[in-house]
Amino acid sequence: MRYSPSFNRSSGLVPALVSVVALAVLPFLAGSNYLNHLLVLTFIFAIVAASWDLSLGFGGLFNFAHVALFAVGIYAYGVVARTLGLSPWLGLLAAGGSAGLIAALITLPIMRLSGIYIILVTIAASQVLYQIVISQSQITGGTSGMVSLPGLELFGYRMSRDGKIGYYYLALTLLIGSTVLLYKITRSRWGRAIVAMRDNKYYAVSRGMSETRIRLYTLTVSAAISGVAGGLYGSYMRVASPDNFGLGLLGLLLSMLLLGGAGTIWGPILAAFFVTMVSEALADYGAWRNIIMSLLLIVILVFYPGGLWALVQTAREGFDVFRTQALARFRRRTGKTAREALTGASERMVETRHGRIAVADSGGAKPALLLIHGNSSAKEAFSAQFKAFSDRYRVISFDLPGHGVSDNADPDRDYSVEAFADVAEDVLKALAVSHPSVFGWSLGGYIAIELAARGNPINALAISGTPPLRLVPEDVGKAYDATSHFVLASKRFLSAAEARDFATSTTGAKDPRTAHLHAAVSRTDGRARAYALGKLQIVDWPRQMRFLRTASVPFAILNGAQDPFLNHQYFRDLKLTQWTDEPADIADAGHAPFLLAADAFNAKLAAFFDSIQNKRSDGEPAPRTISA
Amino acid sequence: MTLDTIALILLGGVVLGALYALMATGLALVWTTLGIFNFAHGTFIALGAYIAWQIASTDAFGAGFVVGSLVSVIGMFLIGTAVYYLLIKPFERSPDIVVKSVITTLAGATILENLINIAWGPRNKQLGAVLTGDIQIIGLVISRNEAAAVAVSLLILAALGIFLQRAPLGRAMRAVAQNREAAQLMGIDVVRLYAVAFGLSAALAAIAGILIGSIRFMNPLMGSDPLMKALIVVIFGGIARFTGPIYAAFIVGLLEAFMTYAVGLYWSPTVLFVIMIVVLVAKPEGLFGKHRKSV
Amino acid sequence: MTQPLLLDVRGLDGGYEPLQIFRKIDLQLAQGGAVGLFGPNGHGKTTFLRTLSGIIDPWDGNIFFEGVQLNRPGPRGSRRWRNFNYDAVTRRRMDAKAVARAGLIHVPQGNLLFPDMTVAETLSIAPYASSGRASASERLDYVFHLFPRVKERRTSKIRFLSGGERQMVAIGVGLMAAPKLLILDEPTLGLSPKLRGELSEAILTIRQSGVPLIVVDQDIAFLESLIDVLYLFDHGRISRRIEKADMPTHEEIMKLMFGEDHQ
Repeated sequence: MRYSPSFNRSSGLVPALVSVVALAVLPFLAGSNYLNHLLVLTFIFAIVAASWDLSLGFGGLFNFAHVALFAVGIYAYGVVARTLGLSPWLGLLAAGGSAGLIAALITLPIMRLSGIYIILVTIAASQVLYQIVISQSQITGGTSGMVSLPGLELFGYRMSRDGKIGYYYLALTLLIGSTVLLYKITRSRWGRAIVAMRDNKYYAVSRGMSETRIRLYTLTVSAAISGVAGGLYGSYMRVASPDNFGLGLLGLLLSMLLLGGAGTIWGPILAAFFVTMVSEALADYGAWRNIIMSLLLIVILVFYPGGLWALVQTAREGFDVFRTQALARFRRRTGKTAREALTGASERMVETRHGRIAVADSGGAKPALLLIHGNSSAKEAFSAQFKAFSDRYRVISFDLPGHGVSDNADPDRDYSVEAFADVAEDVLKALAVSHPSVFGWSLGGYIAIELAARGNPINALAISGTPPLRLVPEDVGKAYDATSHFVLASKRFLSAAEARDFATSTTGAKDPRTAHLHAAVSRTDGRARAYALGKLQIVDWPRQMRFLRTASVPFAILNGAQDPFLNHQYFRDLKLTQWTDEPADIADAGHAPFLLAADAFNAKLAAFFDSIQNKRSDGEPAPRTISA
Repeated sequence: MTLDTIALILLGGVVLGALYALMATGLALVWTTLGIFNFAHGTFIALGAYIAWQIASTDAFGAGFVVGSLVSVIGMFLIGTAVYYLLIKPFERSPDIVVKSVITTLAGATILENLINIAWGPRNKQLGAVLTGDIQIIGLVISRNEAAAVAVSLLILAALGIFLQRAPLGRAMRAVAQNREAAQLMGIDVVRLYAVAFGLSAALAAIAGILIGSIRFMNPLMGSDPLMKALIVVIFGGIARFTGPIYAAFIVGLLEAFMTYAVGLYWSPTVLFVIMIVVLVAKPEGLFGKHRKSV
Repeated sequence: MTQPLLLDVRGLDGGYEPLQIFRKIDLQLAQGGAVGLFGPNGHGKTTFLRTLSGIIDPWDGNIFFEGVQLNRPGPRGSRRWRNFNYDAVTRRRMDAKAVARAGLIHVPQGNLLFPDMTVAETLSIAPYASSGRASASERLDYVFHLFPRVKERRTSKIRFLSGGERQMVAIGVGLMAAPKLLILDEPTLGLSPKLRGELSEAILTIRQSGVPLIVVDQDIAFLESLIDVLYLFDHGRISRRIEKADMPTHEEIMKLMFGEDHQ
């Protein structure tokens, strides 16, 4: 399933823009020769580390010649700009070209290799490059390298003047350019092929991908980017030293890559800043600096192998949990009247096994009707049902843990269909309700079936937008039509645009009727989405299916005919004997028929309940089957 | 080329080969057993030599060569097991243990290298020849010291080979190398065996370091060139068999000795590396390997 | 009960982090008994057996073998910080070595053994686990008696053996360890009918010699000939426990597991 929104809809947009602007104005605010120098080096290393990640992190190809190819870029720049005396700008191009070309040559021997052998061959290849460079001393200066390379000039302006400001912006521009390029590549067909080849080579090959071409492409592109960075490095440092082929620089850049987090573009960039700054701060400690840096690297890898990027994600999750909980608390206090006005029922908090839960209860000594909402929604989704049914029923609904104005909870214990069913049991018990009719929407439908399948006494069961599953994950692919927004249902963090998309797909475009549900999406604890859907596999689906096929509880499926998520044929093929022969689809309704086609839906639900009532009063058993 | 020159080259090649065999076998032991490549192996060689120097040399404790070597070998065994527990074991269940162990062993090598630098300084030292004088073998003159180095290497390799073939612990080690899980189910303590393999490898590195230190000079970076050579040797020989790297070591030693004579000092490593790449492309399992162990 | 159960599994949870594969498994095996596990592929049988033998850690629940607890008691610690490497700071909750040495011997599915060791060498590794319960040479004679083919091929390397021979060696290795309980995970998987018959025969002989067994197989008739109790394994749970007397047919089992509409 493919979901790749454009960057300006993802939640990375704001942080990325802020960082770019901050770096762009930094020289004016706090620019010094020294700081600019450090940042130029950081930018260059960030380019090298991030481009390395394309092959190592995304491609799983441990190309340890990457840093040697960076050094090739330095020498290519030196040869073009100094030995041949051509334009230094041409030198930058030559640097990228030669690094890419040599990378393509290196691809030949590693074509058929895997894992550690690639490491060994590429290390050997970088040694060959090193030996060639130092053996050609008349061109490359041998072991002493090339010195006083010409610097870059733009329209006669020497880039190194004014506190290296020219190099600063050039390096920053290249960093932004290479990042955009890498981002585009990883999001493209090629990028997905690269990852597919890493994760399941044989499957990818059997789907018609060429391993050779992907390897060639990955290594060449990542080396070309690194080569350009090498050219820039050569023009900036104005020396080309054979030391750059050594294990020292390799270790430095590899530590950036792994500290940042392999398989992310942003991690290595972040780590380039971190490593350069820490290393600079320890500059006075001589040999101890290397020891401390290495220890730091080991400690981070051992205890926090995801690296800095994982740390950023964790911090973000912490913030998101805090934000959603604060939002829930705030709304609990201030919005109660508005919510009660929507449902016409009174709201109260109930202690359950999985935290404090907000319950709406229309009260009265009438038969109970329990409504269970879906993923990233809230109990107010059922406002129309509260109004339509509370004259005959005691209508009850509650906010799932991590949703609405209920508290956030422990993701491991409290966010799963089973935990949610526990919550439903506890709510019923707290309100002293027995034999309710239960209606569940979407994820809530599974909760409703689970509640019933456990043997809780239930009068009638209705679901909407919930395909009963026999086998997970096999049936998920059959039961759902995977539109791109379907992926959002289990996504931990939703950007503003994604939250809007998800709310629109599940309920409808934002208007007065759905506005509170749009707000509910951004309140929902992202972990509830990720964990509840991630744990679908461990729900006892056979028990649910056995229940639906054999139990004597009246059962109805009330789908929206235009539900974008459902494969309607799947329901027909299931042949679940129920209230009507076929799912009682509500015409012209989407995933939430009870909301936007409330009257039609309420009529169907009422008809279902009435039919049970009639059969019961006739003394007949509840209607399960219309035909065989 | 006179006959004498050839003899000289041959002898030099054999001495080199014996040292390479010792280093490469140590490297291969870890590679086969744990499936990872230990980049700190070169530093182990240096550290082993320095520990022996510290104990043995008259400039330091002056306890004599034999005591120094023993302390160094035992010490390096312990350091090797410690390195395993600190740098490798935390990734035991991680799917990308191969890359992670590359970077942790590189970092570990950096730490040890700098510590050697701090403790003993960057200047060359010499362990000193143990035996003096020359001996004649089939008409060739060789220094007793170098002859002893070759003999010691071969003896130790033979002992290791017998250990792996016959001793229960050695067999268990081979079993773990071939199928970790099956070995576990047979009651073998895998973690302990890994630690032992790492320790043995480090001890072999120490012996190599001591031999190098006694026939040449030692400095903190003395292990980095041998590490690269050992890498070539292991790839040449393959790891499917214990003897593969040993044959390959002598081939590489002789090749290197001849090429240094024929094409010069600068080009011989290049030629070696190119040959290695060719071998890998044509026969990734090594010249003496039968099947490929890819990780 | 006068003597403790041979194996008593209580409420066992487990899986591969972060995915739980099976939950709340209860399984009891009396001294001298044999049980079968039957269920669709990919529902966690093998993962459960791997947990039982200590290859992976259980998440919760207890395993008692002859009344001795094999796992460290209590549920495993919370793993709140997703990115933290808990493996670096937590101790294993089970020790495969200790399990094997206690006499619970697991012959895994599709066992590849040690491709570059000879049959004889492989058989000589196993006494690691037997820890003096039996004399190695007696066990070896028994294995050679049971599988004459293994004796013929004792100097061959494992990787030159056929699938059936390899499986015989694998079971032979299990027997060399003097098992108090032998776990066989799909011992006849992927074998020709002839070999399958030969191997089934041998397993029956092992059973008749009184070795307690846990057998996973897809052949109900074969299981029925071996075991006292059948556990149906379904979606990571034991969905039913069936005594030998009530053993259903294959068709009935399929119906039980998948309902009317199984394909």
